[in-house]
Amino acid sequence: MIEFFGDLARWFADNWDGTAGYLNRTWEHVQVSGLAVVVASAIGVPLGAWLGHTGKGGLAVVSVVNIGRALPSFGIVALALPITIRIADRVPFIDSGLGFLPTFIALLALALPPIFTNTFAGVRNVSRDTVEAARGMGVTERRILVDVELPIASPVVLAGIRTSAVQVVATATLGALVGYGGLGRYIIDGFAVQDDLQIVAGALLVAVLSVATELGFGALQRRIVPPPLRRGTSLRRRALRRLQPSARTPA
Amino acid sequence: MRNVFRSRVVGAALVSLALVAGACSSGDDATDGPTITVGSTNFGEQLILGEIYASVLEANGYSVERKFNLGTREVVNPALKSGEIDLLAEYTGTLLTFEGGTPSTDSDQTWSDLQNAIGDDGLVALAYSPAQDKNGFVVTAATAQELGLAAVSDLAQYNGQLVLGGPPECPDREFCLIGLQEVYGLDFAGFTPLDTGGPLTVAALEGGEIDVALLFTSDGVIAAKGFVLLEDDRNLQPAENIVPVTTEEIMDAYGEDLRDLLDEVSAAITTAELSELNKRYGLDAEDPEDLAREWLVSKGFIEE
Repeated sequence: MIEFFGDLARWFADNWDGTAGYLNRTWEHVQVSGLAVVVASAIGVPLGAWLGHTGKGGLAVVSVVNIGRALPSFGIVALALPITIRIADRVPFIDSGLGFLPTFIALLALALPPIFTNTFAGVRNVSRDTVEAARGMGVTERRILVDVELPIASPVVLAGIRTSAVQVVATATLGALVGYGGLGRYIIDGFAVQDDLQIVAGALLVAVLSVATELGFGALQRRIVPPPLRRGTSLRRRALRRLQPSARTPA
Repeated sequence: MRNVFRSRVVGAALVSLALVAGACSSGDDATDGPTITVGSTNFGEQLILGEIYASVLEANGYSVERKFNLGTREVVNPALKSGEIDLLAEYTGTLLTFEGGTPSTDSDQTWSDLQNAIGDDGLVALAYSPAQDKNGFVVTAATAQELGLAAVSDLAQYNGQLVLGGPPECPDREFCLIGLQEVYGLDFAGFTPLDTGGPLTVAALEGGEIDVALLFTSDGVIAAKGFVLLEDDRNLQPAENIVPVTTEEIMDAYGEDLRDLLDEVSAAITTAELSELNKRYGLDAEDPEDLAREWLVSKGFIEE
């Protein structure tokens, strides 16, 4: 057992460089996961926000979007493959129908539901009183959405993106089945030759990356969410804290 | 009280009847002995061969369990040695290499060397089949024409330009990437890990994602799709006759009857027939069970 950990440490010392090294594989992994989350956010946040604001057609869209959650990513990767191989010939800037593209499609389908649903619910649940007050002040609909509802919904929206990102990072290992690189490569190749060391190393790397993603988004959340909305801080308490010291300290 | 007693007697009688009925085997010639667990690795031909052997054993009264699609040789070989599976259709050349021996293109020699190599592990190689299945390097007809390729050594002119596609274990295999590099001096621009000579590799080759694919010589897809199988002019691939490998325990339990039966089946398999079955599995999506059954019926091993 101790020997295994020794071998594992040696593996990490030896395998960091080159195309098959874990620095490159991690970068490949981050590339496909990152793009999937970014594109899913670019689609999900505006769509969820607008539908949440207008309150129309929500159920239908939520149902459609949740198909991405219901379909196993493995299945989507396999289904996308014949299409992506054919597309790769026609479309100029896409190099290959294997690897990146089918993986990206499957991860996009996985990333979209949490982001869309959270944004939709977050915006819908902004207090109607606040929105009415803004309307009463003559704020346009678009500015209500952007300046009032989205900031208030931001903790929920960001939580959706965070959940999505962690799931995507964990699932991007599937790419290795269709010729992509990424950290899944260690698991698939290790399994093919029954190299336990490689499998464990790959799994560890994915776990570390997932945790890092979770923590990273936590930090992001702390920067983006407006202070009064951060959890554990009531508006009142903060407002009170800003009062004159004499008003707080007892005589 | 009497009613309870009577119902208990009836119950006991029924239970004994069930036990006795269960103990009697069904089938004409009930063969007493351990269950034969037939295993297979993870590609189509292995499923078909596994099904052929399993079905013919069942038809002759042996008790059979199937454990198919287990993984690569690194998984099934230990399983065979540890007794988790009892029978596996193998390939003489590659198995001999796996066991540390050196095969040749001579079928007989390779087979007898194999028998010696696995004897220490308590395994027995039964008679080998005339059917062979070797690693084959395949290009599309268009590529062959454009680059003037007929044999594997022709690829050397395009070193650094072509992409090879094959199973993930190919870079670790002597008869795959390692052999191409050492025996043929080939240098590929890249290697794309796909599946074991299956639909993903075929799709990638057809779609131009890879230039050279590893497929198996007994795969009818090659002819059906008009691919060109490059000639192995430096004889990298050894004899790869299909050979059922089993354990000494099974042989001790069943003896010559089992051996004769399996030898008869193995002798009847030809490369051409196997190719046709593989093609029907791979392209026409037929079930391995149906294909195996049909073949066995056509050869008279099973009645239908």
